[in-house]
Amino acid sequence: MKFTITREQLQEGLTAVAAAIPAKTTLPVLSNVLVEATKQGLRLSGTDLDIAVSTTVAADVDADGAVTLPAKKLVDITRELPSAPIRFAAVGEQRVSIECGRSKFKLLGLPREEFPSFPAVKFDGAWQATAGVVHKLVGHVAFAASTEESRPILNGVLWELRPDRMRMVATNGHRLAKMDVPASGGTSADLIVPPKALEQIRRLFASDAAIDVAKSDNHLGFRSGGKLVFTRLIEGPYPNYEQVIPRENDKAATIDKAAMAGALRRMSVVASDQTHRIRLAFSGGTVKFSVQTPDLGEAQDELPVTYEGEPLEIGFNATYLLEILKYMPTDEVRLTLKAPERAATVEPVGWDDPASYMALVMPLRLVD
Amino acid sequence: MAMNLARRILLADADAFYVSVARLVDPEGAGKALLLIVGGSAERRGVVTSASYEARRYGVHSAMPMARAIRLCPKATVVPVPWEACADKSRQIKTVLEQFTPAVEQASSDEFYLDMTGTAGLYRNEPLAGTARRMRAAVWEAAGLSVSIGGGTSCLVAKLAAGVAKPLPGTTGDGVQIVEPGAEGEFLRRFTLADLPLVGPKFQERLRRLGLRTVDDVLRHDRRTLVAWLGDREGTWLWERVRGIDDAGVEPARAAKSISRDATFAADLEGDAALERQLLALADRASADLREAGLLARTVTVKIRDADFTTRQARRTLPEPVSSDRAVYAVARELLAKLRAARRVPARLLGVALSQFLRDDAGGQLSLLSPEPTASHSPPLPPRPHAGASDRRATRAVRTRRRGAGANPRAVNRGSGRGV
Repeated sequence: MKFTITREQLQEGLTAVAAAIPAKTTLPVLSNVLVEATKQGLRLSGTDLDIAVSTTVAADVDADGAVTLPAKKLVDITRELPSAPIRFAAVGEQRVSIECGRSKFKLLGLPREEFPSFPAVKFDGAWQATAGVVHKLVGHVAFAASTEESRPILNGVLWELRPDRMRMVATNGHRLAKMDVPASGGTSADLIVPPKALEQIRRLFASDAAIDVAKSDNHLGFRSGGKLVFTRLIEGPYPNYEQVIPRENDKAATIDKAAMAGALRRMSVVASDQTHRIRLAFSGGTVKFSVQTPDLGEAQDELPVTYEGEPLEIGFNATYLLEILKYMPTDEVRLTLKAPERAATVEPVGWDDPASYMALVMPLRLVD
Repeated sequence: MAMNLARRILLADADAFYVSVARLVDPEGAGKALLLIVGGSAERRGVVTSASYEARRYGVHSAMPMARAIRLCPKATVVPVPWEACADKSRQIKTVLEQFTPAVEQASSDEFYLDMTGTAGLYRNEPLAGTARRMRAAVWEAAGLSVSIGGGTSCLVAKLAAGVAKPLPGTTGDGVQIVEPGAEGEFLRRFTLADLPLVGPKFQERLRRLGLRTVDDVLRHDRRTLVAWLGDREGTWLWERVRGIDDAGVEPARAAKSISRDATFAADLEGDAALERQLLALADRASADLREAGLLARTVTVKIRDADFTTRQARRTLPEPVSSDRAVYAVARELLAKLRAARRVPARLLGVALSQFLRDDAGGQLSLLSPEPTASHSPPLPPRPHAGASDRRATRAVRTRRRGAGANPRAVNRGSGRGV
């Protein structure tokens, strides 16, 4: 193996791959980056066994070959080198010499045979999507996925592919986010994807990039340009979320998002740090916020609101509401409600976008 | 039909539990003392929790003031109750028993009811006594403790049979006593009314005045007479009990209604500051038990017993459930101040009780999805409020260190500074 590459090209390739490489691992080869020199250029790959990322960058290859090198050290060396061509050459079985100007390094690697092979995903008949659309779905939905380990399926984001639309849904069992975007063509599929993989997609692919998405038995692959991302899929079925989306909420409030978030944050300061319980009382033209915490104190606040329906008092985990507001794309939001122990929905008001978006949140029981 | 099956209920009762555990914990001291009393405080103002069979011959029994016990049996070695070890052993016993049937109800630290109804097939028609003997051996193997097991068609019969099963010197008990279905009435005839659970000294006195001392005495009267004497509720209750009738079932998940900790002082405490220090330690321990049980409490009660034995209490129900030491102590301190304002005399006992529980992991958060039948292998959704509150971290850290401190579980307590 022997090749020459610019510092910029190498850095670009390493940046793409490094985020997939675990900082701590029990399998030493996983902290290495796989470096493959071929006639097409230099391919760099990293994996934590759940997600694998691979990218190809331009390089002058004199002799083909492959080795794995400690990723962190290679990144650090590249960062410290001057902006000049870098020459790599294999020295014996697992050693690589790196030269740039007068700087010389020898790095000890591990044989490529120890590096895990990538999932066999075939891209024939792949779905096509614009990266920006996937980014939008992920950016508004993935936050709602569970981080608890007790029900693994909820750790994933449900990605429904249909001939006329794409939808993402995530929930932790207490709050849920759902977004639809129009699409055309392609076969139907339900994929449950780890959010970590979706974050890699957001990071690696520019908004205007066209990406191919393909599935094997239990893996999903994304491809665009020279970049490849593979992820393990979570096995379904996903819970029937449709049946928990309320259709009979007969009370609706339209509120200024920033004002509501401000009031919620103020109440949160005094809310129980175990339940984050706050009380919202809707009636006429106002919503009153209040919180009472035994060992701390109490607080009240009030906002104007456009409210239709019978007066209602309802408790929520302030953290859940704040989180949902954070992802709402418009200045005003619409809440729909039914009763103190029924799900509430939150939607953007006047969103100028072909996508449709909603979140829902279950209340906290008021204890007195 | 399960309804028609004769119930098969066992009571496994650890023999001299606190004494045995104290001996396991301290083999060189308590382990070698034949005359051993567990409980109270070294200053002898507490009460006896348990005493070795040898010490009991001197008339020492549980709940007796320690000072009196020591007068009766001056050569006895007195050791404090090894609470943490007892809790561990108790859990070990329960774990073993749960391998025999899922329906295990812990009635106290050393008593466990087991519902074996419908397990005959599982154990290939092994006689209940045989299963009970295997249980005894398994508990001995796992926990190093001996249990006596009584069995019958009701909790009442199982409990009385366990008493008979105790392998005490001078008795025929060999650790297992099963009363066969139909034999309950005959079995009951050997007991006095005082032997029946829930028949306390006051009730005994009432019965004695009616000429009722033994089960046989009651069997001579019909239900109508008993109801005329004792009223509908108690008359019927007694009529059923002496015939071994007791519908109470084994409730594996029977949850405690309150968690409490109290302390009797070596010398009466006068000063508010001294009482507050005690209160802090009690609030600390009660809330640690609460968290251990995975619960939050809404009601805090403080109990104080004045030097003249007047017992008073004050309670408050909070709008939000709490579980941290800090929150419990803050409320308890206000309650203590209220009690002290009403009557400021030296106190001999102080207690903190927590009740009106909520599951820690629920906190009232309603769930969106019911556990899906299609995902039956995954547990129900964990409705979990945000963890990571600094209070909880602090209490967890204290608890960890307290465990590590070994013999003296109070070596690490929070400071009683006002600022915490």
